[in-house]
Formats: sequence, structure tokens, C-alpha cells
Amino acid sequence: MKKILYPMIILFILIPLGLISENPAWAEWENEYYQEALGFIPEGILNAFHVKALAPDYTIEGMNDILAYYLSGMLGVALIFGIFYLLGKKLAR
Amino acid sequence: MHIPDGYLSPITCIATYAAALPLWMIAFKKLKEQLDETTLPLIASLSALSFIIMMFNIPIPGGTSGHAVGASLIAILFGPWVASLCVSLVLLIQALIFGDGGVTTLAANALMMAFASSFSSYYVFQILKKKSFAPYISGWIGIVCASIVLTLLLGIQPLIATVDAQPLYFPFGFAITFPAVVGSHILFFGVVEGIFTGIAYRYILKNRIYKGASA
Repeated sequence: MKKILYPMIILFILIPLGLISENPAWAEWENEYYQEALGFIPEGILNAFHVKALAPDYTIEGMNDILAYYLSGMLGVALIFGIFYLLGKKLAR
Repeated sequence: MHIPDGYLSPITCIATYAAALPLWMIAFKKLKEQLDETTLPLIASLSALSFIIMMFNIPIPGGTSGHAVGASLIAILFGPWVASLCVSLVLLIQALIFGDGGVTTLAANALMMAFASSFSSYYVFQILKKKSFAPYISGWIGIVCASIVLTLLLGIQPLIATVDAQPLYFPFGFAITFPAVVGSHILFFGVVEGIFTGIAYRYILKNRIYKGASA
């Protein structure tokens, strides 16, 4: 079991490599892109409802990007393990 | 890619939730059947691994980027239902905490990156099981299938939601969406998912991390 954690830790350490790309995913553009490409921003995209994210795009305001990326990674992993831990406890009962 | 809020028309969002809800319920049952002291830590770790590899944005020619998903690896080890639920959970955390992918579009994102990816990978793996390249192909197929579903969801938007020649939601139709999205997944992100799935699967077999893996 421990053996699965080693490659995970290595990948985790390498996480900032994910910041190399400044490019967004295809179609995940800023609204300005639509303004430039189409001359207008589709209404639904302009008025989209947004949940206020804790760390939008894995950044934390005022924090170094790499550090924020690491923290985001830790938070995500911790949440996933936390949920499975609770799930396991619930099922054990 | 994770579809953000505002990209899909309300009717598409409702339809995708209507399709995903029963699937999530079945998947939850299947997960409960499989969870025990040995599988739980491994399933949790693989879900975390899926979250981690989605953080590796890979730049590609043409000014965009993308990432692997990690659904295939879970699918070939624990079956497509468990994989679908694990990846859906990852998508939920990404949407709520990191604003990566919308909340109204969560079901759509789950249908492609969790369900389409897991099920296609699983069945391709079952067919090719005897071959050593099975996990590589299965990872590649998973991502390509996800990208096809993504294209369908995005591509119909201008057809069903255009008022006075102005698209209300995602503005580009199939002719633009298909080559850009499916093409880049065939050439790049599918290859990355394939290599990841293949190497990880071999590692798990070699180190006897999961007994069920040799089945």
C-alpha cells in the first residue's frame, strides 16, 4: 500500500510544472476573447452565475503562485482523503 | 477541459443532471460494495492521484492547454462505476473550491470526464486484456471519448440557443469545436493519459499493490 504513495509524492512535488502553461484550455477563455473574436460576449457567458471559489484557479490572493498551487494541491488531496475516511467510517458502522 | 458556468444552456444543464443523478446513485451503491479496509485506502489514493494529475496543465501548439484525467486507471482496476464516482468527486471539489469547472455544468463535466472516460476505458481494457498494451490504449480511448462528449455538449449550444443570430451560450458549432477538441485529445492529452495509465498499472501489478489487478 505504501508503494502507491511514493509515486504520488513525487508527482505532488512536481505539481508546479502544471504552471508552465500560461495558455488556458481550449474554450476556457476570458470574456475578452469572445469580445475580440466575435465582437460580442454571449449573454449566458457574460451573466454566468459563479460560485465564489475559495482558491479560484488554484491561486490564493496575494500569495506566490507556486506556493498557492502547492497549497491548493494539499487542500484537494486532504479533502479527498477526508471524504473517503468519513465514507469508510460510515460504512463500518 | 472543465466546462465553466455560462457555457451550456439551462436546458442542457438540466438534461445532464437528469442523466447523471441516477448514474451517480448506481455508482455510489457499487462503490459501497467494493469499499473495505484494503480497497478504501487505494481507491482514495487513486482519486487523489486523479486530482493531482489534473493539475498538470500541458501546453500544446495552438495556444491552448489540457490535462490527463486518471479515470482510466481507476476504471481498469475497480470497474467503471467506481471510477466514475471517484472522478465525479474530484470534479465536485474542483468546482466548489477552485472554481475549475462550473457548478451548473458539474453533471456535464462528470458525464464526459468521469462516465464516458471510465466506461470506454473499462470495456476497451476488457477486450484487449491479454495484451500488454491494453492499459495504454484504454487510457487513450478514455480521453478521446470524453472529448467527443465535450464536443457534443458544446457544439449543440449555438444550434439550440441562438437569438437574432447571436448565440447565448457557447458560440462555436461542431465545425470548429470538433477538430480543435477531439484532435488535440487524440494527439496529445489522450497520449498522456495512455502513458500514465500504462505505467501506473504496471507499477501496481509489479509491486502487488492490488490483488484484483491481475484479474
